[in-house]
Amino acid sequence: MRFLVRRLTVLVAALLAVSFLVFLIPYLTPGDPTRKILRGRVNAMDIDPAQLESLRAQYGLDRPVLVQYADWLATAVRGDFGYSYTSQAAVMPQIGAAAMVTLVLAVGALGLAIAVALPSGILAAMRRGGPVDTAITTVTQAFVAVPEYWLAPLLILVFAVKFGALPSAGWAGPAWMILPCVTLALRPISYFTQITRASMAEVLDSPYIVGARARGLGYYRTILRHGIRNALIPVVTLLSVWLGGLLGGSVVVEVIFGIPGMGRLVFNAVHNGDIPMIQASMVTIVTITVLLATVTDVLYTVINPTVRGSHVGS
Amino acid sequence: MSVLDGPKTITPATLTPDSAPAGTVTRRNRTRALLRQPWPLVAGGAILTVVVVVLLLTPWIAPSDPAEQDLTQRFAGSSAAHWLGTDQLGRDVLSRMMHGGRFSVTIAGTTVAICAVLGTLLGILCARVRGAFDEFVMRVCDVLLAFPEMIVAMFVVSILGASKTTLILALVVGGWTPFAKLARGVAMEVDARGFIEAARALGCSRSFIVLRHLLPNSLNPLMAHAALRFGHKLITVGALSYLGLGVQPPAADWGSMLAAAQPFLSQAPHLVVYPGLAIFVTALSVTMIGQGINARRGSRS
Repeated sequence: MRFLVRRLTVLVAALLAVSFLVFLIPYLTPGDPTRKILRGRVNAMDIDPAQLESLRAQYGLDRPVLVQYADWLATAVRGDFGYSYTSQAAVMPQIGAAAMVTLVLAVGALGLAIAVALPSGILAAMRRGGPVDTAITTVTQAFVAVPEYWLAPLLILVFAVKFGALPSAGWAGPAWMILPCVTLALRPISYFTQITRASMAEVLDSPYIVGARARGLGYYRTILRHGIRNALIPVVTLLSVWLGGLLGGSVVVEVIFGIPGMGRLVFNAVHNGDIPMIQASMVTIVTITVLLATVTDVLYTVINPTVRGSHVGS
Repeated sequence: MSVLDGPKTITPATLTPDSAPAGTVTRRNRTRALLRQPWPLVAGGAILTVVVVVLLLTPWIAPSDPAEQDLTQRFAGSSAAHWLGTDQLGRDVLSRMMHGGRFSVTIAGTTVAICAVLGTLLGILCARVRGAFDEFVMRVCDVLLAFPEMIVAMFVVSILGASKTTLILALVVGGWTPFAKLARGVAMEVDARGFIEAARALGCSRSFIVLRHLLPNSLNPLMAHAALRFGHKLITVGALSYLGLGVQPPAADWGSMLAAAQPFLSQAPHLVVYPGLAIFVTALSVTMIGQGINARRGSRS
């Protein structure tokens, strides 16, 4: 119970913190904050100086900042972040579309990562200390050091330019997903393989596996029926953390491959100084990330009661 | 940088068994002790040493001026004059990479150093003080950890504008939290061990215990973490520069060199291959160091 309260406190604090910081952007950046805020509200390229005073009063921008924040938050919770400076359209629908694209991309990348990492991690654990284990461990550990903005151009060079087998950029169908997903999957493959190997190795050493073997259950049968299921718990936890991470962390890949997802949306917004879009996209990304992390933590505690209560050093 | 220097910083005293007094270590023992290290630690340390030495000596050993253009020699391949060829303005790629690497490595190094010091001090403080302070710092960590690094960086850049200082600041905001959590955990673990209680019983002051016992005993896992983080930061710094949010032209680091090379991908692949390779090799070397230190501690994590 105490754990749940703590998680929810963090959740709420994170959301309040990000919303407040994002609310402050017009005040912290150079230029007149009133004009910047009004531009996003009345959807105009610039504000007529004659109307400035009446608009300021109409939108309550003459009140104290904290009151304005409460007001802004109340509007934002209803999904109204105003109008984008660049596209002159309401911000939220654009974010919805972009989030769907990124979700598809992230699920594709994680699916690929799981498909590669689970078998290799289990295999490495079964052959612990042998050449297969060394090879798998070394290669996957090296994956962490590969920059995405290096791998992506190299993949484009080989598969799009040389062989012409895959499209180099854009977002028009499943074929367009392959190279970005491979690029994004590399790092999760590394982490998933290592954690699968570690947890599988632990399971294989545990008394109930030794017991099952001693009672004459075949090696592969033991692993399939008893080993894998228990080795998967940490992987599932990591999976949802990565889902959150990819939703906000695929900026570079989306920019390189020209994918109209959340990452590129944020990047373009920052690049163009499109304040309503920056605010909405950042709040959305952090909300999704924090929600996923909280749900994961709570589920993990439900699945595995031993972690409840004592969270020392976690 | 000294934390990341690999095998060199490992004093013989920590390597030899407790029975051998540190004073009797000879040069041969030292070499042998070095070779007894896990191979990733040795290999990673060697690579990193080469990279750091080359970058330090760059002003004297770079083959040519990184800004010198030769438009008759655009997109040239490898030659005796230009080992790694030339770029779209006929500039020497190797020289540009050596100068660019100084940015990449110092920015990543500074960031990790600040994060490590700040995080470790806060973490150990939490472990010593406990109570409300501990709870507060840990919750702040949780909140900061929830924000994706790229998004935090973008936020800071959107307010302060792109520059080297902004970049470091943006990465420090969330970067100290893993160190704080780790240091707190390790310090609590060490705290519960016998020799701390002995020191306390002998009447040692709190600060003495922290500085002479807690900190040295927490150092190995923290060093491993710092090495792994350095590799990660190097890649993130490159990513932000790649997006035009970091080092600003005419200066270039490995990330912005990659971005500049992108339009000429099919025409001159070497412009993409080499700077990326530099990031990969450097990041790999520190990753190996981190894993080596972890392996030496025994597979505890």
